[in-house]
Amino acid sequence: MKTIDLACIIDDDQVYIFAIKRMIKLSNFCKSFMIYNNGAEALDNLKAIIDAGKNIPDVILLDINMPIMDGWQFLDEFIKIEASKLITVYMVSSSIDPVDINKAKTYENVSNYIVKPISIEMLNSIAEEINGTIL
Amino acid sequence: MAYPPNSLSNTSTDSVYLDFIQKAASIGTWEYDTKLLTLHWALETKKIHELPHDYVPNLEEALNFYKAGKNRDTITKLFSECIENLKSFDVELQITTAKGNDKWIRAIAKPFIENGELVKVLGLFQDIDQKTKISKELAAKEALLSKIFDHASIGKGTLDLEGKWLKVNNSLCEMLNYTEEELLKLQSFKAISHPEDKHIGLDLHYKMLDGDINNFQVEKRYISKNGKVIFALLSSALVKDSRGIPQFIIIQINDLTQIKKANQKIQHLLNIKEHQNKRLLNFAHIVSHNLRSHSGNLKMLLDIIKTDMPESMDNDVFPMLDLAVDQLKETVESLNEVATINIKNDVIVEPINLLKSFENVLNCITGQIAESRAKINIDIEPDIHVYAITAYLDSILLNFITNSIKYKKSNINLEIDIQTTIQQGYVIIKIKDNGLGIDLKKHKEKLFGMYKTFHNHKDARGIGLFITKNQVEAIGGKIEVDSTVNIGTTFYIHLKHYENN
Repeated sequence: MKTIDLACIIDDDQVYIFAIKRMIKLSNFCKSFMIYNNGAEALDNLKAIIDAGKNIPDVILLDINMPIMDGWQFLDEFIKIEASKLITVYMVSSSIDPVDINKAKTYENVSNYIVKPISIEMLNSIAEEINGTIL
Repeated sequence: MAYPPNSLSNTSTDSVYLDFIQKAASIGTWEYDTKLLTLHWALETKKIHELPHDYVPNLEEALNFYKAGKNRDTITKLFSECIENLKSFDVELQITTAKGNDKWIRAIAKPFIENGELVKVLGLFQDIDQKTKISKELAAKEALLSKIFDHASIGKGTLDLEGKWLKVNNSLCEMLNYTEEELLKLQSFKAISHPEDKHIGLDLHYKMLDGDINNFQVEKRYISKNGKVIFALLSSALVKDSRGIPQFIIIQINDLTQIKKANQKIQHLLNIKEHQNKRLLNFAHIVSHNLRSHSGNLKMLLDIIKTDMPESMDNDVFPMLDLAVDQLKETVESLNEVATINIKNDVIVEPINLLKSFENVLNCITGQIAESRAKINIDIEPDIHVYAITAYLDSILLNFITNSIKYKKSNINLEIDIQTTIQQGYVIIKIKDNGLGIDLKKHKEKLFGMYKTFHNHKDARGIGLFITKNQVEAIGGKIEVDSTVNIGTTFYIHLKHYENN
């Protein structure tokens, strides 16, 4: 199975970031990852990366509730950037509000909505899904 | 013979005629001979007294037919005056007839003088009972009406066609803080209208004067003499004479100020309550969301320990920690669910087939049913539909079935009977089991509360019925329960019935 080269995690919750980092390692989800603490930080950095055309992530795990710029605001800006590569976005949130879940469906770039907590099994199935689309 | 022919009439034709008059007019004659001291009554007079025709009157008895007291005293006095002072009289009094009936009569007497000497008193005796009664009744009615008018709690009055007060009652004066005099002096009824409301009802008033309508009602404001605003209901009606010509207008003014004020207060409290409710629900929503994040994190950390450091699990504490985190997650989820149900204001329900829903739910828990060896008897007409939300209905039905399974008796096989009846627009689903039952005397109040359990059962969480109740109510239904310890429990779920036609 081909693993994902680069994953991008956008989340402000330090405990979650700690846990997901460990889970990524334990599950061999990807070779490397980058982490941003809110939408604005992620957008600035990703813009530069995509413009440079180097180290573009294969997948983004995007939280919804974040300070400065939340997940939706990030998405609205992010979809305007033209990337040379397909970037799969997963919404990952604690929210089980149908409003959020349905909103995620309106974005073409968003492949799925994942309700926290994430487990190693979940990461594995995300990896399978992504590999399915890449291959 | 009614009257002695020799005294007043000379021919028999005259006497027949007199007789006819007496009968037709209910007037009898009488004659008292002051020399012989004898009293003579005509037949009609006897008839009025309800006496037989052969009755022979005397003065004392005659006077005694008058009702004791005022009536008898009056006639006695008048009669002696007539004899002693030659005074005629004409009086309306009450007698009690020989048969005991009270009657109004008119007695007329005239002294008959011959050669300067009183010889007779001639009199007439008329039955005026009907007439008197009617006029007395009329007078009483009029008095009653005027009492009603004067003392009504509603402001009442009459207006002439120019809109000037003719008559006003106490309530109206009190309401408007004017004296009767002051009101009657006002140029027009319009003077008491609130300046902004002067036009209200005017079009109807003119329509009424034109004969298009007979009466009308409008809500408008008035201003009392001391400047107080009065919210009122005005009722106006036109009174016409027998020829249909407008005479005057009857006005009623109902003071709605208190009601308006009370309504405003209620509305105000309602707004506050609604606002507080929203904030509370919002708060619950936020709390449950934030709690979810934390419990999710805990879960993830524990998963990491399980995978990465299995040796840390090998102690008493770890399984408990794991259990605690699981329970926290479940609690938070339930809380979230409750908040979500309540936060939705406009629930959109659709017709759902009840039998199919039951079948779906039972399919989902076939394992659990088989394990518990429960026998479930469903008796539902296949075409019954209820108004619901699929997710809620499934959750409601599932909760009742799993509840029965949870609280079954260990020594006998569980049986659940499900039936429906349709009553006044509702489908009543009856779910009856032979399980442990609930002591309703002790627990009824708490049954549908949050976090109440009634049995020492391993998965008794208690929030289930609370959520179920919220869901049932959210789709416009209600739940009733009937239960006996050791016999079983019956739940009645009322849901709105959807009728195909």
